[in-house]
Amino acid sequence: MSEPILEVESLKVAYGRVQAVRDVSFSVPEGGLLALVGANGAGKSSVLAAASGLVRPAAGRIRFQGEDVTRRPAHRRVAAGLVLVPEGRQILGTLTVAENLLLGAHRRRRQAAPESEMYDLFPVLAERRALPAGSLSGGEQQMLAIARAMIARPRVVLLDEPSMGLAPKMVDEVFAVIEKIRASGVTVVLVEQNARRALRAADTGHVLETGEIAHSGPASELLQDPRVVKAYLGVE
Amino acid sequence: MLQQLANGVFAGSIYALFAIGFTLVFGVLRHLNLAHPAVFTAGAFIGIEVAARTAIPIWILFPVVALFGALAGVLVERIAFRPLRGRDDEHFAGLISSVALGGVVIALLQARYGTDPQHFAADYFPNRLFEVAGVRVTLTQLVTLGLALVLMLGLAWLVSATSLGRSMRAVAENPTAAKVLGVNVGRVTAGTYALSSALGTVAGALLALNLGQAGRDLGASIELVGFAVIILGGLGSLWGAMAAGVVLGVAEALTIHLFDSTWKSMVAFALLFAVLVLRPRGLFGHVKVREV
Repeated sequence: MSEPILEVESLKVAYGRVQAVRDVSFSVPEGGLLALVGANGAGKSSVLAAASGLVRPAAGRIRFQGEDVTRRPAHRRVAAGLVLVPEGRQILGTLTVAENLLLGAHRRRRQAAPESEMYDLFPVLAERRALPAGSLSGGEQQMLAIARAMIARPRVVLLDEPSMGLAPKMVDEVFAVIEKIRASGVTVVLVEQNARRALRAADTGHVLETGEIAHSGPASELLQDPRVVKAYLGVE
Repeated sequence: MLQQLANGVFAGSIYALFAIGFTLVFGVLRHLNLAHPAVFTAGAFIGIEVAARTAIPIWILFPVVALFGALAGVLVERIAFRPLRGRDDEHFAGLISSVALGGVVIALLQARYGTDPQHFAADYFPNRLFEVAGVRVTLTQLVTLGLALVLMLGLAWLVSATSLGRSMRAVAENPTAAKVLGVNVGRVTAGTYALSSALGTVAGALLALNLGQAGRDLGASIELVGFAVIILGGLGSLWGAMAAGVVLGVAEALTIHLFDSTWKSMVAFALLFAVLVLRPRGLFGHVKVREV
């Protein structure tokens, strides 16, 4: 663990009069895996939307690799290596699997067939490369969404609810992929409703409540914390 | 009869060229750019002026006109659409502001060229006459059809096979997803307008070349038929606009042949009405830009 690669400082996000994020600060060390957990509407996705440039924060600062990127447009953050895998996958259903991947790779267009290395990582996508992405199953679409982000060679991946709506077996596969990403040295920020799974994979965790961080600490301790267990983990 | 069919195809190819530019912007950005007919008119005037001043040959004239058109398209987006981005009524407001901008463009043309029609020099383009299987066609008509075909197929190739086209289809389907993937949505938007208006100005210059002249009502004269083509083909569908352009051109020509020219518009709009009632999504169903 070294210097923080991503820092979020006193972040506020508002949609009209609704304050989704009130005051959130955290930082992620390079190579770390941070989990943001909490109930629906706690502001987890809004934090990622602000970090990736999809929404402009009402206040606060986002720093990536030591540089202030708060006002930088989304496509330039992607180019710099800060990439979001959005909630609900946001697959381009009418484009083919290969076209979805190539879109993620368009910073690397000089390279021939940059999508082929993703086929090694996700063999199921190789079989389906010429099909419209909309014809994939939910789990396959999630794999495509992750592959599409990884092909940009990010330094930090922001994963928004990657296990949402997936069958238990697919959830296992998604978490296996997250482990692989982590093992390759890429920093991960993971937003999940499946708090137990997320905290087991993470090294640090923050619990969000109504737009603020309510509890934080090493993930293994949060898993034992009676307040967190009672409110978010339930009895196993 | 065959002669009328041929004339219909030539007229239809200009309708199609006008319509694909308009439908492209709608297909990708969901904008109804009602300044398109004014840009079309401007293309005709620019073509006539550049031809008169420089006497450059026709195969250089059209690229020059297209370049003006591309620039005009970028300006239309900047002025009429970009300032409205993010508003709740973005699309409706853009429609109104583009009508206004179209009016400004026509007024500027009038200020520069006056109210009289402008003419191509009589000897600018040798208008040879050919006879093929009993059908008489002029060189201008052949150039029109050829250029329209090249531009339409070129656009279809660009949308389906290039990286800009891929980004355009991504923006068309889901702008947020495109942004997340690192697509520069602002640049794709500008590029879409540049292409659209380049096609529109070339269509305008082609029509002027066929008529030998252009008045400031040139765009208004094609506007309604052009919009009928777009609806007939299915809003946002490139192939639909191309096919519907020819269908309408031929329908008009046959009407003139069988009845007389006063019935021409009626047939176009009867067709449009029938399609809206029977196939509300256009002759070609839901085929959109992204499926080219």
